[in-house]
Amino acid sequence: MEPSEVKIGFIGAGNMAFGITKGILLSGGVLPRNVTVSAPSSNNLGRFQELGAAVTHSNTEAVAASRLIFLAVKPHLVPAILREVAPHVTREHVVVSVAAGVTIATLEELLPPESVVLRLMPNLPCMVQEGALLFSRGSRAGPGEGALLKTLLGPCGLVEEGPESWIDAHTGLSGSGVAFVYLFAEALADGGVKMGMPSALAQRIAAQTVLGAGRLLRDSGRHPAQLRSDVCTPGGTTIYGLHALELGGLRAAVMGAVEAATERARELGRK
Amino acid sequence: MSVGFIGAGQLAHALVKGFTAAGVIATHKIMASSPDTELPTVSGLRKMGVNFTTSNKETANRSDVLFLAVKPHIIPFVLDEIGPDIQDRHLIVSCAAGVTISSIEKKLVQYRPAPRVMRCMTNTPVVVREGATVYAVGTHAEAEDGRLLEQLMASVGFCTEVEEDLIDAVTGLSGSGPAYAFTALDALADGGVKMGLPRRLAIRLGAQALLGAAKMLLDSEQHPGQLKDNVCSPGGATIHALHFLESGGFRSLLINAVEASCIRTRELQSLADQESISPAAIKKTTLDKVLQQPGVAAAGGPKAAVSLFNKSNPGRKRN
Repeated sequence: MEPSEVKIGFIGAGNMAFGITKGILLSGGVLPRNVTVSAPSSNNLGRFQELGAAVTHSNTEAVAASRLIFLAVKPHLVPAILREVAPHVTREHVVVSVAAGVTIATLEELLPPESVVLRLMPNLPCMVQEGALLFSRGSRAGPGEGALLKTLLGPCGLVEEGPESWIDAHTGLSGSGVAFVYLFAEALADGGVKMGMPSALAQRIAAQTVLGAGRLLRDSGRHPAQLRSDVCTPGGTTIYGLHALELGGLRAAVMGAVEAATERARELGRK
Repeated sequence: MSVGFIGAGQLAHALVKGFTAAGVIATHKIMASSPDTELPTVSGLRKMGVNFTTSNKETANRSDVLFLAVKPHIIPFVLDEIGPDIQDRHLIVSCAAGVTISSIEKKLVQYRPAPRVMRCMTNTPVVVREGATVYAVGTHAEAEDGRLLEQLMASVGFCTEVEEDLIDAVTGLSGSGPAYAFTALDALADGGVKMGLPRRLAIRLGAQALLGAAKMLLDSEQHPGQLKDNVCSPGGATIHALHFLESGGFRSLLINAVEASCIRTRELQSLADQESISPAAIKKTTLDKVLQQPGVAAAGGPKAAVSLFNKSNPGRKRN
């Protein structure tokens, strides 16, 4: 299927759905009229309409109007939604679930046999087209569907495929990771305030520092340890600051955070 | 060319062993002196064929290149002793941690207008020709003096010239470094033994692992962080182990160690400048005997304690 011909549906109109919609429309690869979004209330549908997408309150209508369906509802709603739409899901459909903790096995169980299912874990910055997205193919999803999804989601940020076992780690690292970065940025700003800077300015500078460092890291292709070393002049300010971070056990704390979030994702997936 | 060592302890012994293994100088051209003939290194030196004497002056007279291989606080007294015997041909190389070239030159110009002085910081693995040495040249040392020293020291490992103000940092890193490694190896072996390995095998494997890793790093263009990544397969044994190291503050401990050694070196330097040991102590060069002298302050007293956790560096105490 050529990207521009694909009809895309969203069940759920929350931030994730919006972020992905923005991304795929931004590339120009999908026509707004080919996007249908359904949600029970009108609260969130306005911003989709502004983008030119079609909106509805009927999940089955969204399914019928689309080939590729994003399931973007809260995890506990998934079973009920799938039971509702299953009669309308055909072999031609491609179902992409964005629900955290809902396994491919569960999805395939609730959908008709032979259904094509993929599982996607995006993260919040999809909303500004700087997401980190990992997807995994179900038993009936072939490389073609994987390639389609990758092309479609490209404008949302970094898109990679992996085995389902990586999705929990991705949740811990990048899903929750966004919050870890916010915590770090807040602490950077607090440090600035302690050293005499007004808090609003410190926060803006902290945000820009994280952004700038992130861009250099992503675009340089160099190992973060190398970039770190490059900033550290002998006996200079940075190495003193880094020593304080090491004394504080930052590395272990961060590894522990990713581990804790991943373990929790696994736990939730088992329930 | 004759080489002399004032001091016949660990450093002199290690350097002689390395030089002779490298074949850069014959042992009969080497002389070493120490007032204390009981040192185990003295018999080691004798066995290697080195000329041994209790007279520092004799060593000075019989040498062209003179290594000062005594403890830092002894240096001023050694310089006063051999000062009159220093000739134009002499190249003085001080290996004493924390002792500045200017403090040595200040002493020697009382006897000679232009003493050729250099300062080096090496480490014990010179004994197996894998030393790490840096040197700085003094006011009157010629270019070829530096080259000569570099040739000598390069025969027993890595050697490069540096600005003198970096030497204390080098002491902290590679001077003390072997001790950090020995400590790590002892502990690694304990880990191996805990998990069922015989001790000797555990030591052998641990040492080889560190040796191999060091060689890989020296041969590689890659950052050690990258090399670490290459060893850590996803979800594997190594990354689990590394998390433990990080949780224990492994990196900060090593940073602290290098810093503490460097700071202490600077403290020793100011103690040497004070020349607080009595001249009578010059005949007894072991620290215990020196400290028995009345009125002599202990070099490692509380005032001189190294503290990283002061106002300017509030590290978090680890539990």
